[in-house]
Amino acid sequence: MHGTRLVRYALLRLLQAVPVVLGVVVLNFLLLQLAPGDAATVLAGEAGGAPPEYVAELRARFGLDQPMLVQLGLYLKNILLLDLGYSFRNSAPVLDLILERLWPTLLLMGATFVLSVGGGVVVGLLAALWVRTWRDHLISVVAVIAYATPLFWIGLMLILVFSIWLDWFPTSGMEDVVAFNEGWARIIDIAHHLVLPTITLSLFYLALYTRLMRATVLEQRGAEYVTTARAKGLTEGRITMRHILRNALLPVVTMAGVQVGALLGGSVVVETVFAWPGLGQLAFQSLFARDFNLLLGIFFLSACLVVIVNLMVDVIYVLLDPRIRVGGA
Amino acid sequence: MRPDRRLALAGITSLLGMAGTGLMPQPAMAQRRGGTLVLVVQPEPPTLGSYISTALPVGQVATKIYDGLLEYDFDLKPLPSLAESWTVSDGGRTVTFRLRSGVKFHDGQPFTSADVQFTVMEVLKKVHPRGINTFSEVTAIETPDPQTAIFRLTRPAPYMMMALSGYESPILPKHVFGQGDIRSHQNANSPVGTGPFRFVQWRRGEFVRLDRNPDYWKPGLPYLDRIVVRFIGDTGTRAAALEKGEAHVAGFGAVPYNDVRRLERLPNIRIETRGYEMLSPVVELMFNTRKPPFDNVRVRQAISFSIDRQFVIDNMWFGFGKPTNGPISSNFAPSGFYSADVMNYNVPDGVDRANRLLDEAGFPRRADGTRFEIVHDITPYGEEWRRFGEYTQQALARIGIKASLRYEDVATWLRRVYTDYDYDVSSNSLFNLADPVLGVHRAFHSRFIRPGTVFVNGVRWSDPRADELMDQATIEPDPRKRAELYTEIQKIVVAAAPLAWTHEINYATVLDRRYRDVIVSPLGLFGSFDRAWRE
Repeated sequence: MHGTRLVRYALLRLLQAVPVVLGVVVLNFLLLQLAPGDAATVLAGEAGGAPPEYVAELRARFGLDQPMLVQLGLYLKNILLLDLGYSFRNSAPVLDLILERLWPTLLLMGATFVLSVGGGVVVGLLAALWVRTWRDHLISVVAVIAYATPLFWIGLMLILVFSIWLDWFPTSGMEDVVAFNEGWARIIDIAHHLVLPTITLSLFYLALYTRLMRATVLEQRGAEYVTTARAKGLTEGRITMRHILRNALLPVVTMAGVQVGALLGGSVVVETVFAWPGLGQLAFQSLFARDFNLLLGIFFLSACLVVIVNLMVDVIYVLLDPRIRVGGA
Repeated sequence: MRPDRRLALAGITSLLGMAGTGLMPQPAMAQRRGGTLVLVVQPEPPTLGSYISTALPVGQVATKIYDGLLEYDFDLKPLPSLAESWTVSDGGRTVTFRLRSGVKFHDGQPFTSADVQFTVMEVLKKVHPRGINTFSEVTAIETPDPQTAIFRLTRPAPYMMMALSGYESPILPKHVFGQGDIRSHQNANSPVGTGPFRFVQWRRGEFVRLDRNPDYWKPGLPYLDRIVVRFIGDTGTRAAALEKGEAHVAGFGAVPYNDVRRLERLPNIRIETRGYEMLSPVVELMFNTRKPPFDNVRVRQAISFSIDRQFVIDNMWFGFGKPTNGPISSNFAPSGFYSADVMNYNVPDGVDRANRLLDEAGFPRRADGTRFEIVHDITPYGEEWRRFGEYTQQALARIGIKASLRYEDVATWLRRVYTDYDYDVSSNSLFNLADPVLGVHRAFHSRFIRPGTVFVNGVRWSDPRADELMDQATIEPDPRKRAELYTEIQKIVVAAAPLAWTHEINYATVLDRRYRDVIVSPLGLFGSFDRAWRE
């Protein structure tokens, strides 16, 4: 019974998300119209100067000569048919381009997510258990530094130390393009390339979750149910693992869910520094090229991703805390 | 052992050197087969269709795949390539190319005159951003047999012979590109050419992989097994990859000049400044000549006088440049098109002369020391340009012009300068390309005042005499007469200063020392790399 209710709830939420995503698409479309210059100007610029007939022809081919509302209407119609359009700059369908870049991004985001949430929970818990000792202070100081240091700088320093000086990791890229490994060798090679970007992107979030986890654990430890548990004679270890941890996780999960969107933003920097072939870089490049079809496609996909992750977070809530019930339906 | 071997090689070299002619690989050392060269290109090209986009990144990739009819030596003299020989007749209105036989495209189909006709008439003349101008005089290409292509021109076009490299005019297979819309052709990004390397794979955001073409028409070439073109967005990481030997070649400012100076000191890195002679970028300050006070020639001259060229080169371009006054690069000195006989703005008392000119022009200093205020639009190309903008602000302050700086992204800036003309002073660098007709006229011929077209006459200067001389130089087949025309053109435009030309940029290519013969022609990174080899 509980299971079917959860599924019905999830489906309803997905249905409700459709107008949200469409709203995001329309808003993005209108916002992008405010940017000066268009794809034809940029393409002509890259070509090093071109006759006006060429630029006019480009514009007509891109549909940029149509009134804005007509462009928007066409775009919405296509989106509803799940047709994300064509990137003239890249001479390829938008969907192909995005799918090609999706899995490196998911790999980097997934690894970062696991490292930052997992690491943050463990370190934060330890800091709370060691509260007001030198170990707690050390963790706090390191966390503040990691929180405050710019991502690109961390990335470049990691490259300098671990790649150039120590020669442990490659500087950039997702795999060795001289060797072109296959099978297991390729998987190991990719994992090897994944280390530095994941650490770079994780540090900020790791620091954030550590601080959050430490604060909530401390708060929970003073709660009445902990006193009750202690009175019942449970061991400290059991209280921490069974009771405090589960309750302290809720704010971290909430935060992590909200930050999936931000993770995409942060990955632009990390992907650029490490030449990681993900969506962030693609979005960045398409903005400067005024390749709005592609950019809108990425926004659309990001919006979908955020909606799905938020739904997942809600489901995880239910699993973590039996008091939370799915409702609505 | 080692020095002995080198001596022996030197002997062989000198012997072979005597026999060596234009097309033969320069026998410098014992070239070795095999190896992968990693070329770093920045930014990632939007397409590999070099017949439709002349962007620098596109050219660096596509030139390994497509050949041109001609190659060029460092004096910009044409050499045979797909065309074995050529004759110009009928007062320059007929050009007959004898094409190489036995050449095959990467898909195994033979290369014939039909491919040349198709490429020029159906592709380059119609959709190539510069080909539209380059081949504007070509009315027909006759193909009496598969090995002969006869170009028929309405008027002589001597500059066309300079635009037939694999970069400027790549020869496409008609049987591939002849079907479908050339503008959005599916083979744009899976190119098929006759070049030394075949296209294998493009993983966007990562690399393009090109493998050796075993059936290349130059016997024994290429030496390399593979070229991988990598895309690394961050300047610091690019330098790190080169430093570590993960990447081997990078040029066109992919490595910023301050990093070039640092990498130069490493034992595994070599810096090469040759190989940009068919581009010849010249840096210019642009004046909005139809907007007061820049409609006043004295104001424009004064600003040109205020720029200390050597200071700019030493501090903004880390020494990679050469001071100049005029629009034509000194790379054209061998052909006589470059002239130093022009007004000299690069003088020690430039600031005094500038102040005098502004006083005469009727812009006296006010109580606060300034004459008037302007906005200077910085060229959004990166670090050195930003610093150049800041320097210009200081230079102008010295002559009483208060400039505030504006920095926008490329698309916005292009529109401001070349469409809306909503600017006072900006800067840019235009390529001279392989001939002044292709790269120089566009900056100040009044025919090139075209709102919406970028990198043309954005200063909107117009002078009937200069226009007339340029029109004559365009169709003059005699190189000596052309040189005289350009001497006069340079004298006129430098004195009128619609733009202030400050210096020629010497791009620097960063090379891994293990790789040899990478830069072997004025096309540099736009060369085919057929002779490049790894120690």
